[in-house]
Amino acid sequence: MKSIVLFLCAAPIYAQGLDPGALLKPPTDTWPSYNGDYSGRRYSTLSRINEDNVRSLTLAWAFQAHQQELKSTPLEVNGILYFTVPNHVWAVDARTGRQIWHFQRQSEGDDIGQRGVAMYGDRLFFGTPDAHLICLDARSGKKIWEVEVADVKFGYYISMAPLVVKDRLIVGISGDQTDIAGFLDARSPRDGGLLWRWDSLPKPGQFGSETWPNRDAMAHGGGTTWMTGTYDPELNLLYWGTGNPHPVLAGRVRPGANLYTCSIVAINADTGKLIWYFQPSPHDTQDRDATETPILFDADFQGRPRKLLAQASRNGYFFLLDRATGENLLSTRFGPENWSAGLNKRGEPIPKPEKEPQPAGVLFEGTGTNWWAPSFDPDTGLFYVNAYHHFAVTYLTRNGEDEAIRWRRDSPVGPGEAFVSVGAGILTTAGHLLFTGDNAGDLVALDPATGGSLWHVFAGGRLTGCPMTYELNGQQYLLTAVDSVLYAWVLPREAPFAAVPPSSHVSDLETPEFSEFFQLRRPQKRR
Amino acid sequence: MYLIEGILNHKQACALLFVSVCLWGSVMSARQATAAAKTRHGSWQQHPADAVERGRSQFLKKCAFCHGREANGGSAGPNLMRSAVVRHDENGNLIGSVIRDGRPDKGMPAIQLTSDQIMDVVAFLRYRLAESDLRSPKEPGPEYSGAKLLIGKVEDGKAFFYGAGGCSACHSPTSDLKGIARRYPAVELQAHLLYPQDQHLRATVLDSSGKQYAGVIRFLTNYDIAIDDDAGWYHSWPLDAIKLELKDPLAVHRQLLPKFTDSDMHNILAYLETLK
Repeated sequence: MKSIVLFLCAAPIYAQGLDPGALLKPPTDTWPSYNGDYSGRRYSTLSRINEDNVRSLTLAWAFQAHQQELKSTPLEVNGILYFTVPNHVWAVDARTGRQIWHFQRQSEGDDIGQRGVAMYGDRLFFGTPDAHLICLDARSGKKIWEVEVADVKFGYYISMAPLVVKDRLIVGISGDQTDIAGFLDARSPRDGGLLWRWDSLPKPGQFGSETWPNRDAMAHGGGTTWMTGTYDPELNLLYWGTGNPHPVLAGRVRPGANLYTCSIVAINADTGKLIWYFQPSPHDTQDRDATETPILFDADFQGRPRKLLAQASRNGYFFLLDRATGENLLSTRFGPENWSAGLNKRGEPIPKPEKEPQPAGVLFEGTGTNWWAPSFDPDTGLFYVNAYHHFAVTYLTRNGEDEAIRWRRDSPVGPGEAFVSVGAGILTTAGHLLFTGDNAGDLVALDPATGGSLWHVFAGGRLTGCPMTYELNGQQYLLTAVDSVLYAWVLPREAPFAAVPPSSHVSDLETPEFSEFFQLRRPQKRR
Repeated sequence: MYLIEGILNHKQACALLFVSVCLWGSVMSARQATAAAKTRHGSWQQHPADAVERGRSQFLKKCAFCHGREANGGSAGPNLMRSAVVRHDENGNLIGSVIRDGRPDKGMPAIQLTSDQIMDVVAFLRYRLAESDLRSPKEPGPEYSGAKLLIGKVEDGKAFFYGAGGCSACHSPTSDLKGIARRYPAVELQAHLLYPQDQHLRATVLDSSGKQYAGVIRFLTNYDIAIDDDAGWYHSWPLDAIKLELKDPLAVHRQLLPKFTDSDMHNILAYLETLK
């Protein structure tokens, strides 16, 4: 009861926090969630920065986190950015790049990555390497509550950014170190209490249990939920990708399709009940999580309007589904592979048994992608993904007329390292631009229709996070995380900066009142 | 990796992953894979090796009958790698009482062990946790048994070398490959034959003044190229200001990778292994 009272007392202050309505709008002056909106398309309607002026992008500020690489997508709410690395959260002025607060909590557990926070009213939520969920006061960075979501001693950790849906936090978990069971939680923003849990693995006797050899393999069969999913408010369905089965490579101890690992699942947001599933990698033995963002958009498919879901999956296949029913509309490879023997009647790839790992080695060829964000641009009707084997940006049409790759931008080969896997997310905008990073470490703006390069800069490292954009005080900002530095790019102001008295730049001034005096003396001091 | 024990031991499982690393080709160098493994392994604090061995010995005598020789489950006892008691234990604070008092409700008798012996068993279980939790890509050491890799046919490998593989166009068993099997353990030879990573891309650059440079590529991006010339000096240019010719000593290997069948790979390795 106490927490409810606090909650109500705090309510008026939410006016300064995140307006829940922002979650239902395209991101413009606010980027309120990991993907910017529920669709996961990472397309911004902002167009101040566009194909005609992108060449003049200039640095607004840089924030040095002095920590491991930034993989999180910052939220931007009321002029404040919130972002993370494992064990750390920052609030930073979105206009100046100056730190407002920094929360730190060291913990044991896997610290491979942290994708960011979720916001509800004036509260922030993030997961930790020891699989706790923490709530912070967005004003101060002070901790409000903390709950354990899973047991770190079994290798569970949280790297994903939670998703706020209505008055629930949707929280997934990570872990590959031991044979564990995946799940997806709905928790209360009030106190972190569990509202529902969807288990990635069926129980004995349930549908899907026939895809496991025995109770023990099924109970420890993996299927983690380590990326932020998407949500359709009209259908009230969550769409989530699940990770690989456990044990990861040794498929012989778990014959069968191994539901619901490497799957895309549709879950009722109120009840946590599974509505439909599609399995990109039945019986995976190559660590091909299907956790990549399931992007939602509506379009005509074969002459009929459809609510669609598209995923460029880690196994090198692009899938197009009807997101109301889960019906498979299109499954097509976006790069070469040698492990599948066609598609089954559900449109799911059939793994070749002889391509399962063997002691003598098996020659495996694949194309893949990973957690880095894809994008769907409604202006071009194209789906973009960074993939490896080749660094490739590929597309598939929204209407399925053309299943081929229209353009692909191959990254040149560096000496000794061949094609290093990329980790760059993609952002498209109404400025007819696609922002990403290439394999060689350049930040790039590309023409989304042709892949032609419009802008590039080497910022000292690879793009490690996913680019995002927001509008603030009449400026459009583009954010790119490069290693541990967050760069903000803007167009030059139309009017030059107001002249600032040079004295204010003299660093050794003790008091501003004497600025003129010091100004006069400054040349002498420099002698 | 305990689930696959009995079929494959732990090292073999790691080696399987290595194969995927070197063939993806391309995706990750072995060094990067190892670095990635470091960030992902479990953080089980280890006890001295002699304590682990004493603990193993006690475990085999008193516990393995039910829990299995590797503590991953046996005829009557559960897999201790999945035990919350074992995973949350700190210096015997949880395991100790279970050993001393047993779990009569679950059919486990009290086990007669001294406090020191219990600590040794704890050390062994910690060791097993670290071992069973390590499952990221890892390079197999040179000790990886060549016999496991040598399932191909020497004659077919030789035929591939001189025929379909086109290897003999560049290589010869009596010159560059002479004694190759002595120079590399089988597992490394397999990686080398598929994708020899020590070969560098070379470039010839003609600059706007008509001057020509040649050397090993330092970096090649979508916009710039840099080389070390044959005298060791560094040069770089924007790509749009020069004429560029690339020479990729690995081009044939790259083209071959998607054409290799598993049999080709095993056969060619079997043949190369005869070049002692």
